[in-house]
Amino acid sequence: MELFVIFGLVLSTFALVFSKRLSALIGNFALQSFFLSLLSFTEAIKGNNLELYVVAMLLLVLKVLVIPRILQNMVKEMQVNENLGFFLNPQLSLLVAAILLYLSWVFSGVVFANQDNLVKIYGTVSFLMISLGLFLMVFRMKALAQVVGLLAMENGVFLLASSVSGGMPFLVEMAIFFDIFVGVVILGVFVYRINKLFVGIDVNKLNRLRG
Amino acid sequence: MSLLSMLIKKDKILMAVTSFSYLASLIASVSLGNTFLSTKTPISLFNIFYLDSLSVFFVFTISVIVFAATLYSEGYIEKELSHNEFTQDKLKYYYLLLNLFVFAILLVTVVNNLGMMWVAIEITTLISAFLVGFHNTKNSIEAAWKYIIICSVGIILALLGTILFSYAFLFSVGTKSLNWTDLIAVASKLDPNLVKIAFIFVMVGYGTKAGLAPMHTWLPDAHSQALSPISGLLSGVLLKTSIYAILRYTMIANRCLGISFSSHLFLLFGLLSMALAAGLILVQRDLKRLLAYSSIEHVGIIVFGLGIGGPLGLYGALLHIFNHAVTKSFLFFGAGNLVNTYGSHNIRNMKGALKVIPFTGGMVLIGIFALAGFPPFSIFYSEIMILMSTFNQGRFILGALFSIFVTIVFGAIIFYFSQIIFGEKPKNLQVVREPLIGKLSFLFLLVFIIFAGFMTPNLINGLILSIIEALKG
Repeated sequence: MELFVIFGLVLSTFALVFSKRLSALIGNFALQSFFLSLLSFTEAIKGNNLELYVVAMLLLVLKVLVIPRILQNMVKEMQVNENLGFFLNPQLSLLVAAILLYLSWVFSGVVFANQDNLVKIYGTVSFLMISLGLFLMVFRMKALAQVVGLLAMENGVFLLASSVSGGMPFLVEMAIFFDIFVGVVILGVFVYRINKLFVGIDVNKLNRLRG
Repeated sequence: MSLLSMLIKKDKILMAVTSFSYLASLIASVSLGNTFLSTKTPISLFNIFYLDSLSVFFVFTISVIVFAATLYSEGYIEKELSHNEFTQDKLKYYYLLLNLFVFAILLVTVVNNLGMMWVAIEITTLISAFLVGFHNTKNSIEAAWKYIIICSVGIILALLGTILFSYAFLFSVGTKSLNWTDLIAVASKLDPNLVKIAFIFVMVGYGTKAGLAPMHTWLPDAHSQALSPISGLLSGVLLKTSIYAILRYTMIANRCLGISFSSHLFLLFGLLSMALAAGLILVQRDLKRLLAYSSIEHVGIIVFGLGIGGPLGLYGALLHIFNHAVTKSFLFFGAGNLVNTYGSHNIRNMKGALKVIPFTGGMVLIGIFALAGFPPFSIFYSEIMILMSTFNQGRFILGALFSIFVTIVFGAIIFYFSQIIFGEKPKNLQVVREPLIGKLSFLFLLVFIIFAGFMTPNLINGLILSIIEALKG
């Protein structure tokens, strides 16, 4: 089960990098979050802990259903050009992703030096998710892609927290969920405003302030 | 206890958005903060809130600045209302956001749980993004977008660092906890390699929000586009909250690794920020951007001082946190009045401020000398402490670099501002009369600018000394 989830996470993360259209990007993000919630459900069953169930449930509802829905609706409503706008084309991006996978493995080996392989693998996958999230934010032109990249980074951190350090305290976990939800809503408001003022949501148009 | 009542008061204000009751209770919070300073033992409440000297020092600094900012807001908004830039609806919205913002900032400094601290810092970003993009123009929306995106990325890295700290705790103790008090208690037993990596993530993450180079790119945009009272808060208080977070982790890291690891990182980021600010401040055309770059420089100075260390260096750095907060908000308020009067951000369009807007002109003149580090004012004292500590330790190259960067910025600031303040009055402008309440805000801050240097109040003095004790590791 764990291997299946890990495989799914890596695959969906690579799919994020390979997506060419906004709706595909958002769909792949939902997939990634789905595997993540699967992982927390298995952990909840293993630990038989109510708090873990709540966390997994919230993950499923917020990140798999609600947030992707909000983002998809925004894409539809604003009627923006669906193409992501690449600063680096998908094939090269995939190559970069492969390199980052290797680097994550090396880094994870340094951080979790005295741990068994499963922990190292979890570390690798979460560092991969974080670095590829950052990669998406830098090398894709659409403002919404930056939002998705940010969320993917957060997924990576969540994976690290739940797999390696046994999850964060319940209260903190709830606060972070709240924070992310509010964050997405606020970012959404700004995307709307950008769309209105700059006609489209290409972030390379945001170049008025320099120096 | 007093803090809790302070928080409740804030909550009440959130509901009653009338600005007058709001002002009154801020004065109350300042006095509460003051009575609080006399007890000096760490206070913890339900394991959620925890206050030691570091927290109290920051709460005090924040209260001073916020009180001044609200005084100034009154005058500022009156003016904006008369220019039709503000409506009544926007006014309510503004106060709602301002209160939430201040609440989140205060929350950062009083929570015990490092995860909650992270959440509070992220909330400050989310709320203040609205205050940056308040006017909904192309420039302000761009600034707000950059601000929220860059800071969120930074802060996610900080969350990663936080989790690595909690992992280090789990690894060596065997239980889960993110409470700072638990972490500091076992700090010396944590795995040093892990703490090193985690501390770097925290430093880069919160450093982004503190405006350290090379992660500073959002700062000039956000600070120049925000409303002026908010620019003052962003520069004076928000940057310092991130430094607070870094200091919290530094205490843990110092106990685990010794001082040299964190101080090398501090020196690197500090010098980088100062160098970058010194280079870019020379080419600025926009008044508020100029001040924003000066903020980067001063954050650099603070971090440099923390890196140099030694009792004198640390004292200087901590005092500089307070001094810079006071002086920079003072100047942002002044800059706000200037921008309002001339209707432009461009330095070239401003001439003869002393004649057009005499009170603000005079205040800005004093503020500029204070900011540049002229002797009677407080910033001079903290800078000279840091410099003396550098030379006392025989680190002459660092001391020389420090002096060069400070001198460049000094020259640039005096040069640009003398153009604004002196000179003939443009013919198309009337002499502006300023509201009393705005003047009060300037005078209030001026007291600290003048006296915090050579007559450091006992409260600040005692607090700083006990923080230094905690930082030793």
